[in-house]
Amino acid sequence: MTYKRFLYYQSIIVMASSMIFPFYVLLLKNVGDSYAQFGWAYGLFALTSALAYPTIGKFSDQLGEKVLFILYSWGMAVLLLFFPLVTEVWQVYILQIIMGILGAVQKNTEKTALAKNVKKENAGKEIGNYHVWTSVGAAIAIILTGYIVDFITIGSIFYLASLIYFISGFLLLKKRKE
Amino acid sequence: MLLLLLAYLAALGSSIFVYQNKISHPVVKDKGRLLPIKVKNIQSATGEQELQQIVREANKTNDKLTIAGMQHSQGGQTLYPNAMLIDMKSYNKIVRFDRKRKTITVQSGATWNDIQKYINPYGLAIKVMQSQNIFTIGGSLSVNVHGRDIRNDALIDTVESFRLLNPDGDIINVSRKENSSLFYSVIGGYGLFGIILDVTLKLTDDELYRTRTKIMDYKKYEAYFQKNVLNNHSVKMHLARISIAPNTFLKEMYITDYVEANQHDLSQYNHLKGETIAIPKFFLGLSRYSDWGKNLFWDVQKKYMKMSDGKLVSRNNVMRSDSNFMEYDSSTRTEVLQEYFVPVNQFTSYIDSLREALKKEKDFNLLNITIRFVDKNQEAVMSYAKDDMFALVLLINQGQSKKDIEQTQRVVRNMINITLEHHGSYYLPYYSYPSKKQLHEAYPRTDEFFNMKRKYDPKERFVNLFYEEYGK
Repeated sequence: MTYKRFLYYQSIIVMASSMIFPFYVLLLKNVGDSYAQFGWAYGLFALTSALAYPTIGKFSDQLGEKVLFILYSWGMAVLLLFFPLVTEVWQVYILQIIMGILGAVQKNTEKTALAKNVKKENAGKEIGNYHVWTSVGAAIAIILTGYIVDFITIGSIFYLASLIYFISGFLLLKKRKE
Repeated sequence: MLLLLLAYLAALGSSIFVYQNKISHPVVKDKGRLLPIKVKNIQSATGEQELQQIVREANKTNDKLTIAGMQHSQGGQTLYPNAMLIDMKSYNKIVRFDRKRKTITVQSGATWNDIQKYINPYGLAIKVMQSQNIFTIGGSLSVNVHGRDIRNDALIDTVESFRLLNPDGDIINVSRKENSSLFYSVIGGYGLFGIILDVTLKLTDDELYRTRTKIMDYKKYEAYFQKNVLNNHSVKMHLARISIAPNTFLKEMYITDYVEANQHDLSQYNHLKGETIAIPKFFLGLSRYSDWGKNLFWDVQKKYMKMSDGKLVSRNNVMRSDSNFMEYDSSTRTEVLQEYFVPVNQFTSYIDSLREALKKEKDFNLLNITIRFVDKNQEAVMSYAKDDMFALVLLINQGQSKKDIEQTQRVVRNMINITLEHHGSYYLPYYSYPSKKQLHEAYPRTDEFFNMKRKYDPKERFVNLFYEEYGK
């Protein structure tokens, strides 16, 4: 996996995740009840991430970034299919726990890849550039999605994001064959 | 690889299928939110031909129909499982306005606010409506509302005629002369006889009122009302509140009368106002959670009320409150209403009995009681005003679990028994807490009413949960 492909891949998944995150709150509002439940939903996410990081770190060194990115992409692709179907708050909690694990996979692997690909001397500049592109992807995705939600149901956003995740996994696979 | 792709596509497909299924059977709730019901679909009413088409089609496919306006009734009066829900809100045009005769004909999905905005420039006002102006005319007719006005009776008093789309899909005229038996059952008929298309209402002149406020003990209220309100013909509207705050529970009252003022000044006061809702919403929020909040809210209300003493306000503006501050978003708790009618001369003893009963109910979260007056009117088959009555509206905060519902039911049935013992009755648009026996006692013509329904709608095309619960 070249650095350039890593960059493409990251831009795509950041777009997909930015599509759902702001609007995810709307979904929670339909399901959840109180701010305490919002707190729990996000708290569980962070907590499972914390617990998952040590294991992921170990695997990251053994398996390499590619495998983990694919795991993350397809994991998210499948997980997102459940979001539109959620009706109870406990279901949100479970999804958040799995998202916490997957999120940790992505964050850890992203940073490992950066660490391996960036020269120490100009790391600041390179990581800065890296963030420009992923952030541009995020901004475009959020704004466009806002318009899309006005026309289609909130559930469709999750399907769209799921598809993008799924395709992003394939992109990584394809690179290996080349 | 291909297998993976296929597996994912299969998962995607089935998820979308389940999701589509979920949204194509819309779950509809009324304001009480205790009755989520899956309907078959929601049809928006656009014109009378389209409505006729819906009814005729339903006769062919044997679908059940239910009619909805703002859906503020809380006992499933607009709901029925797997029925087609006809949403009347977009059927809301002003059809005719006769300034000289002071009548207006509107489509039933129009709201009181629509009418007010239309007639205010002509110096006219509505005779009888709820205190809030957000409701549709069709819905208001179906529950035969009453309001702050004390010189007219219930809404039925102000209806000249209407057109009804009957269960066969035919349109008929209904008035006190034409199809008169339908006139008295469709008004207060909870949508069981067909779709009310357009309604001709009698209007009155917009007037300027001076607000007169007083604080008094509940024991003095009855005499005060007889002497200073009912027998003083310059008083046109009246509204009271009795304390639910622990410190003054069901003892202290404050009263607002609207007294005719010098009409020359009307033009300075007759532009329609909006309303601020943030402050009452905040205090109501506090009183939901604690006795301390209830005491505070009551004190604030009293102070606010004193400030409005002597203020001039037009009739149209008195009839323009907004109930948005009562919007309550919790998904585990909800707020329900009850309304009890008691004859004026029973008031003091009734409040004593009610206090006695409620003091024992520590978990019963009562948030507000307002009191209005309604003149005796027994035109409608389902008439609640069997006498000159005080109408007490109770706002109750409760949970949505089975246990909570049973708890409220027990208290409500007890309160209704007390009401009936004082020769009173209760209002029907609310959750089906009352027993069948209580319904028959409060409304002696109940059997006649439901028999009429089956006479005019033998196939039971128009149904709702109220009919399901009490009509069969």
